[in-house]
Amino acid sequence: MRYTIIRGLLAGGVICLASGCVTSTVDQMVFNKPTEGIGNATVVILGRRHASDYDTEPDFVECVGDHIASGDRSIHVIGELEFVNDFYPWFEPRTAPLQLADLEGLLQRQPVVAERLASLNTQYMIWLDGSTVRGDSSGSMTCAIGPGGGGCFGFGTWSSDAKYEATIWDFTEHAEVGRISTTATGQSYMPAVVIPIPIIAPVQGTACDGIGDQLLQFLSSQS
Amino acid sequence: MSASTTSAHDTYRLLWPAAMLLCYMLLVVLAGCGPAEVVVKGDFPAPTMEKLPLTIGVWYSADFANHEFFDEAKTKTESSWLVKTGQAQVQMWDTLLAGMFARVVPMVGRPGPGQMNPTVDAVFIPEVGELQYALPAQTNVKVYEIWIRYKLQLVTTGGDPIADWTMSAYGKTPTAFMQSDQAAVNLAAVMALRDAGANFASSFTRVPGVQAWLQDRLGSGQEATL
Repeated sequence: MRYTIIRGLLAGGVICLASGCVTSTVDQMVFNKPTEGIGNATVVILGRRHASDYDTEPDFVECVGDHIASGDRSIHVIGELEFVNDFYPWFEPRTAPLQLADLEGLLQRQPVVAERLASLNTQYMIWLDGSTVRGDSSGSMTCAIGPGGGGCFGFGTWSSDAKYEATIWDFTEHAEVGRISTTATGQSYMPAVVIPIPIIAPVQGTACDGIGDQLLQFLSSQS
Repeated sequence: MSASTTSAHDTYRLLWPAAMLLCYMLLVVLAGCGPAEVVVKGDFPAPTMEKLPLTIGVWYSADFANHEFFDEAKTKTESSWLVKTGQAQVQMWDTLLAGMFARVVPMVGRPGPGQMNPTVDAVFIPEVGELQYALPAQTNVKVYEIWIRYKLQLVTTGGDPIADWTMSAYGKTPTAFMQSDQAAVNLAAVMALRDAGANFASSFTRVPGVQAWLQDRLGSGQEATL
């Protein structure tokens, strides 16, 4: 029994050291879940970019889309760039609708936008808002190079924090039907004995998996 | 003599790669002394919107069509920058206007008395009033940013003013791993041009002078829906 606990702790420690330690939480509040999936309808996932101090990273939006599409092959997720270009200039940082009512106003003013959206058969528009930021760092590292070769010695560590929220708009119900939020915190390390070995905590990837799993549960008929 | 000639040839043959390497290094060093140059290039999508049933003329001045921005380095550690936006400006405005108006006609010359031009409802003249940029090295913020302030004019074919207004555009891009400063500045400029298009398309009919002119041309009903 004692050996099992020690082995468990060791295994946990090795995994933690190999990929950095990440802790994450996911909160969700959803209504009107499609009980039989979304059928032939499509989903579009977009990042919020209207804040002055941060942008939702395009690769995070892509990661969530890929997570959903790979979890249920029947769900067709429209690429963010493809959608934003198709509907230019209405989903640029300056013009993107912040509320569902703003989007409905746009569809009334611009029938050509409404027609194009209908042709895509988009049932859900999911907005992702948030970012991953690098926090405090500590440690020191010295690198030197000479005729006989070079190398580094030292240790560095830094933390990363991810905070994202997904808001789901349902076009058939004309309503906001859910909000899912996730936070993830991780510590990365870089020990160096001749060669620096970065052990990066997959903070953004964990946040992507967390929010992607919840969205998949909401959209998929398989869950 | 013969031996001495062979020896000189051998020495020359041995030194030739070293001389070439030295020249190459010198060229690299000299290239490093010049300004960092960016010729802005990007794809600009056509707008998805109801077209205004008007024929609009467009006139790009030589300054606008060849617009470039030069910023000289203030310290020895900084680099000078030359950002050429003219080609991308023309590309963006051509695509945008073609999607906003029923017909777009390029003008032969700047509208004015005595200037022969095709007949159109009005002529649009964009000018870049000011362009500013910020690099992470200057601001300690990990984003590349570009601001553009436009001076826009709508005039009759005779050159009489219909509306005259300013419009700002902003583009930023985060520091990207394995991306050069030039590529990041290009991306920020493309984002600023996209923002200019979005700002223009969404606010054109609300510009006071333009609003009055549209009411006169199209009637209040049609103008109000745009």
